[in-house]
Amino acid sequence: MNSPTRLPAPMGLLIDRERPLRFSFEGQSYQGFEGDSVASALLGNGRWLLSRSFKYHRPRGPLSMAGQDANSLVQLPEEPNVPADLHPASEGLKVAGQNFSGSLDSDRDAYLGKFSRFMPVGFYYRAFYKPKGMWKIWEPLIRKKAGLGVLDLDFKPQYYDKAYLFVDLAVIGAGPAGLRAALDAANSGAKVLLIEQQPVLGGSLNYARFDIAGTRATSLRAELLAAVEGHPNIQVLLRATCNAWFTDNYLPVIQHKRMYKVRATRCLVAAGSFDQPVVFRNNDLPGVMLTSAAQRLMKFYAVKPGQRAVVLTGNDDGYLAALDLQEQGVTVAALVDMRTTPVDSELATELKRRQIPLHLGSTVYEALHEAGMRHVSGVDIRPITGQGKVATQGLQLACDLLCMSAGYMPVYQLLCQAGGKLAYEETRAEFAISNLPTHLDIAGSVNGRHLLDNVLADAARGAAEALAALGLDVPTPAAFAAERPVNFPWPIFPHPKGKDFVDFDEDLQVRDIVNATRSGYRDIQLVKRFSTVGMGPSQGRHSALPTARLVAHATGRSIGETGVTTARPPFEAEKLAHVAGRAFDPYRQTPMHRRHLEAGAKMMPAGLWQRPAFYGKAEDRDRCMQEEARHVREKVGLIDVSTLGGLDVRGPDAAELLERLYTFGFAKLAVGRTRYALMTNEHGVVIDDGVCARLGERHFYVSATTSGVDRLYQQMLKWNAQWRLDVDITNVTAALAAVNLAGPLSRQVLAKVCEGIDLSAEAFPYLGVRLGKVAGIAARVLRVGFVGELGYEIHVPARYAERLWDVLMEAGAALGIRPFGVETQRLLRLEKGHVIISQDTDGMTHPAEIDMQWAIGRKKPFFVGKRSIEILEAQPLKRKLVGFTLPPTSAQPLEGHLVLDGADISGNVTSCEYSRTVGQIIGLAYAATHQATPGMHIPIRVEGGEIVQATVVQLPFHDPENQRQEL
Amino acid sequence: MSSLKAEDFIERSPLYPLQQGARLATLAHSSIVARYGEKEEHALLQRCALIDLSNLPRVGFRGSDSAAYLQARGYCLPEQPNQAVRQQDGCLVARLSQSEYLLLGSLHDLGARIAVEESRWEQDDQRNYLLPRQDSHAWLQLTGNRSAEVMAKLCGVDLRARAFASGAVAQTSAARINVIVINAGSQALPALQILCDRASVQYFWGALLDAMDEFGGGPVGIDALLD
Repeated sequence: MNSPTRLPAPMGLLIDRERPLRFSFEGQSYQGFEGDSVASALLGNGRWLLSRSFKYHRPRGPLSMAGQDANSLVQLPEEPNVPADLHPASEGLKVAGQNFSGSLDSDRDAYLGKFSRFMPVGFYYRAFYKPKGMWKIWEPLIRKKAGLGVLDLDFKPQYYDKAYLFVDLAVIGAGPAGLRAALDAANSGAKVLLIEQQPVLGGSLNYARFDIAGTRATSLRAELLAAVEGHPNIQVLLRATCNAWFTDNYLPVIQHKRMYKVRATRCLVAAGSFDQPVVFRNNDLPGVMLTSAAQRLMKFYAVKPGQRAVVLTGNDDGYLAALDLQEQGVTVAALVDMRTTPVDSELATELKRRQIPLHLGSTVYEALHEAGMRHVSGVDIRPITGQGKVATQGLQLACDLLCMSAGYMPVYQLLCQAGGKLAYEETRAEFAISNLPTHLDIAGSVNGRHLLDNVLADAARGAAEALAALGLDVPTPAAFAAERPVNFPWPIFPHPKGKDFVDFDEDLQVRDIVNATRSGYRDIQLVKRFSTVGMGPSQGRHSALPTARLVAHATGRSIGETGVTTARPPFEAEKLAHVAGRAFDPYRQTPMHRRHLEAGAKMMPAGLWQRPAFYGKAEDRDRCMQEEARHVREKVGLIDVSTLGGLDVRGPDAAELLERLYTFGFAKLAVGRTRYALMTNEHGVVIDDGVCARLGERHFYVSATTSGVDRLYQQMLKWNAQWRLDVDITNVTAALAAVNLAGPLSRQVLAKVCEGIDLSAEAFPYLGVRLGKVAGIAARVLRVGFVGELGYEIHVPARYAERLWDVLMEAGAALGIRPFGVETQRLLRLEKGHVIISQDTDGMTHPAEIDMQWAIGRKKPFFVGKRSIEILEAQPLKRKLVGFTLPPTSAQPLEGHLVLDGADISGNVTSCEYSRTVGQIIGLAYAATHQATPGMHIPIRVEGGEIVQATVVQLPFHDPENQRQEL
Repeated sequence: MSSLKAEDFIERSPLYPLQQGARLATLAHSSIVARYGEKEEHALLQRCALIDLSNLPRVGFRGSDSAAYLQARGYCLPEQPNQAVRQQDGCLVARLSQSEYLLLGSLHDLGARIAVEESRWEQDDQRNYLLPRQDSHAWLQLTGNRSAEVMAKLCGVDLRARAFASGAVAQTSAARINVIVINAGSQALPALQILCDRASVQYFWGALLDAMDEFGGGPVGIDALLD
């Protein structure tokens, strides 16, 4: 086992040296500290090889130490592709490498790199698609070689959720700019949300060096944090990533297992800029890293990144990093500056004072390596002789750490999602962002401000503009100093032997990008799609700028004209669990729900409602259903029909509204009477049905289907708004619960508990409606016959409904009352040939197809769908809903099974069940009109492809004279 | 434990099956949870608590004559839609649209005044239609300093006091169902009155408690409110 050795404090800002922990990587045990990332703990143990590259299986170690590259992707037991430089090390954690054959250290697929010349960019587009069908053979092999970890298919879902956050100002990034802006805004009264990816505030103040003495960052950090932490107007989210920008500053911010949906009046992006690599041969070796990564290693984790370092830079920051390295005991073998002189001449003086060799106008042409390429072992330094050109001779130096910094690329992704434009400033060799929408601003290095004082001044300006927009006090902004260039204009040095990587994720070398343009893909978007540059996990953070430069040069355009590829959300990989969040699946229960459960109901969904299908065990469905049906036919049953839609239509124009909405006439419907109501849409298609009960001259109570009432209510409101009738429409579906007391003994049961209503057939005939009291509860009682028996629908306010159920069950006990469910009701209505809208009808059904012409008021001047129905009826009928029977021994068709007409399909089964009452299998099906005559046979293809010959019969199947419901 | 049971009453809250073991108090023709157990509920009330007020009377009126009708009945009405006004006797009148009002009963008279409004109303030629809000909607009260944060997990409307002041009304969606939210709180006790589909309240109660869990919230009875 390796033991960790760390630098002394104040290095190690994030780790707690008093809390060691153990974890394993590739089966080997390692020690780290609380606060370590997996990568920092491994590097602290001298373990640099963390992964294998995507295509050539080259050894890779950390590049950015900030979760911005694919070099550190590792496998956790339950999750692949985890960035080891972000993921915290924890006690007992088991980590493995991924994308190798054999072992991570000795990958058998590493030979692929030797064949890179045979795998040029886009090779698989051309090599594996011919002859036709070959891709299916190659695909699994190629995908296996380009493996990206293993999914845990036994993964147990975890709790993720979402929450809104409402703020005046969202500041993205808590570096010097973010902290300063948040503080200024908060001090003036704005409610500020400060979003930071890292576990601590401070951004570059935590790891970068801003002055030769090395004190500026520390003091400024302490000053800003003291003011920000605990500020009542600042809410801080650490380890949080703003993963996109959507219109009006709608920001999805992911923190731990939650996605915050931030609604910010103003948004200030102070996300900084990405340190950029230099392109040279073997720039991907373990031990070659961004300068900022080496600084992070030391200052965050107290890990000494090497013993002997070379720093390759294109700006003054590399000098400051060299000072950091030396102060932590790293021998700086050379500082290689691609420029001919630093901007700040004092830096060169300081290097000289510290005896750090300085090579101006030079570059690393090739990184040298140990056997197996497991670590950098030296560099070949060459003088630069032109753009991308070097001298033929140079100097070789031994080193075990190579830090590189070619300059910076603003974190442009969110800003481009917001419509921001990137313009390349040739004199500064960097992209600048403009054209941002109102209420979105940028500050700091993302805005091209790199001097620390300028960063702070820019933050103050950003805060001032936000405060002005919010109508709050605006402090006086500071002035800016002249900026110095930080980007070397051409940090790309192609090597004849290649392996000069532009895109580490996809193993793309300089010649791959250039060859893409030579293949005709001159546009940067096409280069991306052909070469896959920028399509890996780092999404172009390090490849966009060199690609733009290479494509511009190869196509003879400027870098500004070439641009970069479109940046789309998400900013970094996000889990589907974050997008899904906590699932909200509303459901509705009737007031009698508890009674159904107590009675052993098998519940079923009906839209959002939970309804009893039948009472008994699921496996006893048929028996329970048949027994319940027989009970209703012979004695009395009780069903909860609270889910039926209910609408109160009141006002002087109530009848007129119904006249226009429904096919039937209601103007002359007497008070105390009900009438079947069929609704069609403008196309004459049947969309709902129910019963209209007239409770008063100006008051109708209208029922609707369970699934259709919400849409119906909307339709009523829409039409009423258009017609401007004097009417009020109220959806009382949940407010009025209802039961249907059905069966020949129902009157006897109701008589025991009913007051104020004469229940005799003469006084309260079929299709009548009465107001009275049932069980002492004010009730609307309707005589309707959906199941074809003497029956009463009793509607009461929901608060009393359970009491109503209890009283009716008690009153009916002596007569053998029992509850029945929806499945039973469907069988009973099928026996009567009653259709269920949306089960026996579809999006094309018009009244003539289901024999509903009788429900159309022909004398009415208008109803919705009238004109269409007239047109449809003038055409020959193409299909018809028919009743059919089959012997009990026949295979039973299911809903959806096809009705055939020779070799053609003429319709489908919509309802089918065995009926003990009829003694046969009965059903409804659409069939061709020439098949619809009673006595004809229709072939139905059932399960397994068997064809059964069903007999078309006249509807209804039971009680054709309708005597039972009119008792 | 109280000997009262919800099923002893003719009116029942849709949530009563979830209130087993709670101590109940009588509320006219129904019961209401007085307290859930022996635990201190006042502190919870201040932090994050949920109260089922579904059995407390409430009623709605809508129509061009409703305002005059209610004013004649002695109610002070909000000047604009989506506002609520506390009446002197503690009941609350919310204006939901140009011509629609929602009356919420007060615990001080156990909702008696509002119950009368429902029972005495009769439809006449006036455009003043009664809306059965006690049966169409369940009524929950979310109290405490974390109320807005709880709702932010369920609802896209900013319900922080600085954006949603006392007396404000929001008709919106929370946890994917329609709700009416009224800020009826004070500096001493932040409180949101939430009315939702009565048939969905078991679902919504669970969703709210789940959202409250992070803040150590839970259900409390009305004793904590009345003491």
